[in-house]
Amino acid sequence: MTAQTVTTFQAFKATLKRDLLIAYKRKNDMVNPFMFFLIVASLFPIGISPDPDRLAEIASGVLWISALLASLLAMDNLFRSDYEDGSLEQLLLSPHPLYFLVLAKNISHWLVSGLPVALVSPLVAYMLNLPGESYFTLFITLLIGTPVLSLLGSIGVALTVGLGSRGLILAVITLPMSVPVLIAGTLTVQQTLNGASLAGYLAILAAMLFAAVSFAPLASAAALRISVK
Amino acid sequence: MWLWFSKLGSPKWFYELSGKWLPWLAAGMSLLLIVGIIWALLFVPPDYQQGDTIRIMYVHVPFASISLAFFPLMAVAGTITLVWRMKLADMVAKTAAPLGAWFTALALASGSIWGSDIWGTWWIWDGRLTSMLLQFFLLVGVISLRSALEDADAAAKACALLSIVGCINVFVIKYSVDWWNTLHQPSGSFSLSDEAPNPPEVWVPLVIMIVAVYLFFVVSLILSTRNEILERERRSQWVQELIGAN
Repeated sequence: MTAQTVTTFQAFKATLKRDLLIAYKRKNDMVNPFMFFLIVASLFPIGISPDPDRLAEIASGVLWISALLASLLAMDNLFRSDYEDGSLEQLLLSPHPLYFLVLAKNISHWLVSGLPVALVSPLVAYMLNLPGESYFTLFITLLIGTPVLSLLGSIGVALTVGLGSRGLILAVITLPMSVPVLIAGTLTVQQTLNGASLAGYLAILAAMLFAAVSFAPLASAAALRISVK
Repeated sequence: MWLWFSKLGSPKWFYELSGKWLPWLAAGMSLLLIVGIIWALLFVPPDYQQGDTIRIMYVHVPFASISLAFFPLMAVAGTITLVWRMKLADMVAKTAAPLGAWFTALALASGSIWGSDIWGTWWIWDGRLTSMLLQFFLLVGVISLRSALEDADAAAKACALLSIVGCINVFVIKYSVDWWNTLHQPSGSFSLSDEAPNPPEVWVPLVIMIVAVYLFFVVSLILSTRNEILERERRSQWVQELIGAN
């Protein structure tokens, strides 16, 4: 080996930087999940009722489901183009643990898809008449919960990356797996409305995040090794 | 032990052995099913609250209890596929997924019929019902992933991985959904004493039905696995000979 040996941390940073750069250059991919979130959330008042009281009741669920769908939609960008141009194979050939490289891809993916949704959620919460005291809780739950959605979804994407048309199969695999996050997220927001303590609920969400960070990239990495030949 | 283990991985060996077991298993299943059904439908005393509706329990509980076994079974078979590359394990996993979806659907359907009488509604978003429904969705996901991947080897490994992840997920879903909403009665306890809420004449036929449905599951799994073996090994000599002999 020459002096150019790269440490795993450098490889991690390089992958993260590359993915963020690509996302920045394709602004459509950045804006679409966010717009999708806004559009889905605004369909509910139209479809159910514009009555502020009824909206207030369902707002937390609407926001969480919209975030879940937006995350699912954005999943397609995660490995797809890398698979098509062959850079995914290079990633698999790298001597560094695939866990960290997949984690870097997941983080950059969350930064461009999950984080904007979490940031804009108080605005949409206002439009849906969610009671004011729970804006901050909603924001926090989405901030903790959306990375879990990205990490879980990445397993499904990795399993189906070689398939031609995979939109629906990805949803069928991923959505049921996301249910615990959805439950924890919406229950936490409703808990604020009841005025009860949030510590336990947030702890469960955080536990989900840590479990997902620890294990989901391992499963994604194994799935990538199966799908890419 | 290891010789036995590697023998077990041979589809031909399994095919021959299961062929010997099958008549016994099928006979035991039929006997227990007939005894269990007749006992449950004709001789069990009506429940003091639910009346004759209680007889649905003798179908619902066996199906519900066995449908919980599918994800662990598929996860174990998946682990064997990934670690030891055993072909037979994948054949079992492949045939278990649609069976599991059927059993889960039957558990949901029989529960819904039971519920329509005692709860007054066909469906409620209760913890157990919801987690069963989600388990059904996860099984459908495994089946559709299997059918979408054309390469059999990749499909085997991908489904193995998805089954392992799904198995963990089923437990997480179970706990989170229970936490979310619970109405379903907890599983009852059974005892031999006559003063207990569930006397033996209620639970003995239930045990018979549970064993019978388990045997039904084993027989269907073996039958469909044998089918799968013949299909996958159709070019091998022993299958050719088998077909030629018949």
